[in-house]
Formats: sequence, C-alpha cells, structure tokens
Amino acid sequence: MSPLLIALLGALLIPLFVGTWRTSLLGLSAQGLLMAALAHRAAPLLATAHDWIALVDLGLIRGLAMPLALYVVQKARGARARNDVIPPNLFFWTLALGMGLAAFNFSEHLVSEPGEPQTLVAVAVAGILLGFLVLSGSSEPFSQMVGVLRIENSIVLLELSDQDHSAIGLELAMLAIFVATLGFFCWYLATLKEPAEPSLESAPDSSSL
Amino acid sequence: MNPLALVCIPIVVGLSLAIPRLRAHAARALVGTALLLSTLALAQVLLPAPELSLSGYARLDATSRLFLALINPIFLGISAYVASRVAATPALHRDLWRFVALALCFIGAANAAVLGNHLLVQWMALEVTTLVAAPLIVRPGEGRSRLASWHYLLFSSVGLALVLLGFSCLSRAMQAAGHEPTLFLDRLPAFAAVSASPWGEPGLALVILGLGTKLGLAPMYTWLPEAYAEAPPAVTALLGAVQFNAALVVLLRVIAVYRPGNAGLITAELMLMGLASMVVSAISIIATRNMKRLIAYAAINHAGVIAIGLAVGKGTTYGVLLYVISNAFIKAILFLTAGKIKAHYRTEDTREISGLIKDLPYSGVFLLVGTLALLGFPPFGSFFGELSILSALVSSGHLFVFAAFCVLITTTFIATGRTFFPMVWGMPKQVHVWQKQTFLTASPKIFFLVVLVILGLYIPPALSGLLEQVAASLEAEGS
Repeated sequence: MSPLLIALLGALLIPLFVGTWRTSLLGLSAQGLLMAALAHRAAPLLATAHDWIALVDLGLIRGLAMPLALYVVQKARGARARNDVIPPNLFFWTLALGMGLAAFNFSEHLVSEPGEPQTLVAVAVAGILLGFLVLSGSSEPFSQMVGVLRIENSIVLLELSDQDHSAIGLELAMLAIFVATLGFFCWYLATLKEPAEPSLESAPDSSSL
Repeated sequence: MNPLALVCIPIVVGLSLAIPRLRAHAARALVGTALLLSTLALAQVLLPAPELSLSGYARLDATSRLFLALINPIFLGISAYVASRVAATPALHRDLWRFVALALCFIGAANAAVLGNHLLVQWMALEVTTLVAAPLIVRPGEGRSRLASWHYLLFSSVGLALVLLGFSCLSRAMQAAGHEPTLFLDRLPAFAAVSASPWGEPGLALVILGLGTKLGLAPMYTWLPEAYAEAPPAVTALLGAVQFNAALVVLLRVIAVYRPGNAGLITAELMLMGLASMVVSAISIIATRNMKRLIAYAAINHAGVIAIGLAVGKGTTYGVLLYVISNAFIKAILFLTAGKIKAHYRTEDTREISGLIKDLPYSGVFLLVGTLALLGFPPFGSFFGELSILSALVSSGHLFVFAAFCVLITTTFIATGRTFFPMVWGMPKQVHVWQKQTFLTASPKIFFLVVLVILGLYIPPALSGLLEQVAASLEAEGS
C-alpha cells in the first residue's frame, strides 16, 4: 500500500472523528491534493490535455478552490466551530470502521490481483460508503454537502485507475458542471438560514409563476 | 432543420436575457421560443427523416422523436400559462426574465438528454436540468421552498453520482472483458452482457437506482413531494412533465441496451422500486391533506406503475408509453390547476376547498378530468396502460406483483377520490368574490386537456407508428 493511498484513507477517516467543520474541509482539501499527486505520479510529464485537466480538476478545484469557497461562506455566516458530520457515538464510529473494512473485502472481489490497483479501488469504495454514512447521519446542509463531495471525490478516485479517458470536450464540460454545482452549494450554504425576503406574493391574484 | 437547434436555440435565447435591455421582452421570448421548439419537434414526427447520427453524440430515432414531440408542446403550454399569469399580474413581471432564462436553458438541456447518443452526454444534460431547476424552486420570501430546493439538488446530486459511478463500473466491465470501453449507445449493445465481470452487475444496478432517484422512485423519493409542493406551479409542471420524461429517456436507453443480456437484474430491480414506490405513495396519499403534496404522491405512484410496466417488458411497452404520455399531460394539468386554486383560496388544505365547480368552473373541470385520468378511468391513456400492465403481469406469471398492484391501485384510487371529488362537487364553504377567469388564462390547460382526451379516444397513425417503433426497440430480442 503506497503512502499516498494510506494518507488518502486517513483523509477519509480522520475528519469523521474530529467534529469541526474546518477538519471536514481540511479532509476534502487533502483528498483533492492527494488525488492530484496520484494523477501526477501516473503521468508526470503532463504530456496530454487530459493530464492537465485532471491536475486542474483535482489539485486546483477539488484540493484548493472548493474547500476555500466553503470556508469563506462558513466564516461569513459565523458557523459554530463544532460540526459533527456523523453523530459522535460508538455506533457510528463502529459503522465507519466497518465500512472501511467492508470496502477492502469488496475490492478483493472486484480486482482479483493484490496490489496498488486493488488498494485504490478499496479506498475509493471506502470513500463512497463513508460519504453515504455522512449523508445518512446528518441533517445540516453543510454536513450533507461534505457527504456529497466525499462521494464525488471518491468516484473521481475510482476513475483515476481507469486508463480510458473521455473526449476532452466532455471532460471540460464535466469540470464546468462540477464548478457550477460547487457554486450552488455555496449559494445554499450562504442563504438557507437567511431571514425572509420581500415577496411578490402580495399581489391579489398571485402566488408566483 | 438540424434537430440540435432544439438544444441550441433555447439556450442562446435564454443566455441572451443576461443583456438588460432584452429583459423587457422575456415573456415574448419565452412563448416565441417554445412555439418554435414545438413546431420543430412535431416536424420531426410528421416529416420523418432517416435516422441521423449527429457527430456521434446525438441521434434522432423513434425514442427521441417521440419524447421531443411530448416535452416541447408541454413546455409551450407551460410557457403560455406563465405569460398569461404575468399579463394578469404585472407584479410578477419584475423577476420574469430570470425565470425565462433558466426555463429556456432547462428545456435546451432536456432536449439534449433526449437526443443524446452518449450516456455521459445524457448524464450531463440531466445534471444541467437539475442545476437550472434548483433556483426555480425557490420562492422569494419562503424559507421552506429554499430548503425544498436544497433537498432537490442534494438528492439529484446523489442520484446522478450513483449513475456516474454505475457508468464507471460498466466501463470497467467492458475493459475486464477485453473490449475498448465506450458509452456511445449505438456501440454499447455489443457489450450488453455485463455479468461476465464483477463490475458489470453492480454498475447496471447503480445506474438504474440513480435514474430511479431522478424519477422519484423509492427508496430515494423524499425530495419529490417536498420540491413539487413548494415550487411555483409552472416549475412543478416543468419538473413533473418535462424533466421526468428526460430522465425516463435515459432509463429507456439503458434498458434497451442492457435488457437482452441482463433481463433478470433489470426486472427485479425495477419491480422492487416500482412496488415500493406504490406502497409509500398509497400510504402518503391516505395521510396527506395538502393538495399539491397529494398530486406529488400520485406522481410517485405513476412512476411506480411505469417502473413495473418497464420491468415486465414484453407486451406492455406500448401501453406503458401511452401511460407515460398521458401521465405527462395529467401532471401538467393538475399542477397548474393546483396553483390556480391555491392562489384563490390561499390554502392548500383540501378540507378548506369545496365547490370548485361553482366557484372556479374552469379549475373545477380541470381538476375533475385530471383526477379521472389520474385514477385511470377510461378512455384515458392511463387506463389502457394499467390494463396492459395487469394483463402482462398475469401472462408472465408475476401473480404476487399482480395482486399487490391491484390492492395498491385500488387504495390509491379510493384515497385520491375521497379527497378530490368533494373539492369539486361539495358546497362552497365561504362566499368568495373572484376575479373572473378568462379563456386566455385557462387556454394552456384547455390545450393539455384536449390533447389528453383526444389521445384517449384516438391515436393518430404517426404517433401510433412511433409508439410501436419505440416499443419494438425496448422489447428487442431477449427481453
């Protein structure tokens, strides 16, 4: 198991046990940067447009811009430091560790030969399962966003080991969609608890369109 | 004209509203574009051209023709409704350009999902419809609608993430079998037997589960009643009658490709999701007293019926397609009518609304006929669809599903009828003085109603031929 994958597993697990939103964002950032390092290790020469897009997507967007944008919004709305993405109890902690183990067992079924590809699949599956655990245990929008972003990062990690690449146009379009989704996440995070705005609905025969 | 115009024109017109001086013409831009799109879409049916492959990423076949001709006229009806609302209520004009810009991008992306010949292109188109629909759900000043919008985006993101994960697994299954991976629909049938690799079946199951989430099927259906109830009526109609069908096209494409090699998995998963959806919707319809939520739960019920029909496959597909078409018009009529009723009574509590046929004759008739179609009365397409599904369930030996289907449909029938019929026929509870309903404001719903009734009585040969072609593609060898 390579040090990068060990670190990635740590970035997936540790934020679940340290209940602050800063740790969650740090975990997301670490995931993005570690995945960028994995992508760069696989194609160090950056010889194709695909390699560059992967680096921008993983390192710049997922590793830096995404956590930074969410950090700025969280700071602006004065979020409390404490934020448990899963309920802080023994049951959920056991579930989290159990899911990690289950992911490693499942990866042996998916990739028969032991080695780094098998471990990468194991870490990706663990990330997806833990993302669902976060979603299932949280009702706060911020935690739900962290859950979705964990799942999306893990799908990208799974695709990293796939040698087949989509057309450049499709990859750019997917990157644009991810950035737009991130923009929407920030918008919701900033506005979900805002006081009521003036309404169009005072008109006599109208509620809205 | 190149069918890609159905994607490009609305997006270009929508984006052009970013220029402030064009915003004053938003209503005309909306109706004009919708009219052009409908004409183009219907021309694809009435003047059939040979099958086209548009740069490999798009294609125009029977399925895309049918659904283009379904969603674009519905979009036209919704656009006319919005324009009439704005004409009657000038206060709504202020933010109209924002709605028009997003709605036009929405229909452009929905058309792209229908025309797509590449699973990733279709996935991206669905994602774009989700992103532009999310802000449309938000009603200024109503925090609950913002939360509903967030839940819609959250569930859609998770559902579409599952679909993407499924595509990734299917791609690996092809690699494991020694093939060059592809997501082009016209090249996929060669690799349709996914069970050879451990990646294949989980991948296919994830794709169906994720698309089921977009369709509002159980287990991940909870976003639907909340979003449908909180969104403005025009947006609810867009989600229920346009986006639903765009997502359904992607599911139909997946079924057409993978059923021949994986009929067992597809049948089991769709049947389970369909039955579970019917159970939760039946219980919720009994429990709710909220008019829009009730229609939303009925929409989940309909999605469940469609899933079961698709699960059975052979012999039902024509009926299911007929059901899908009538379902789209029913949802458009009922959600737009619910909006009108709420605007007048200032409540969505079904117990507070009574005597609609006297109070609001147009809305009373729309609610009555829409409910009859919703409940599957003859001569509507929903009746023939349910009949063909029941018959196929018996002939294919799914007797338990048949029994459960009958019980659930009957329960839904009684629960919906006991709520909606008193709203139409009962005595008015309060004396209201209404602004008179004009024919112009009712005309979009009259259009939907006329189409719904006509399709129940007579299916034009062009449409019937199209339905047969789509059914044949879905019931191909092995299904």
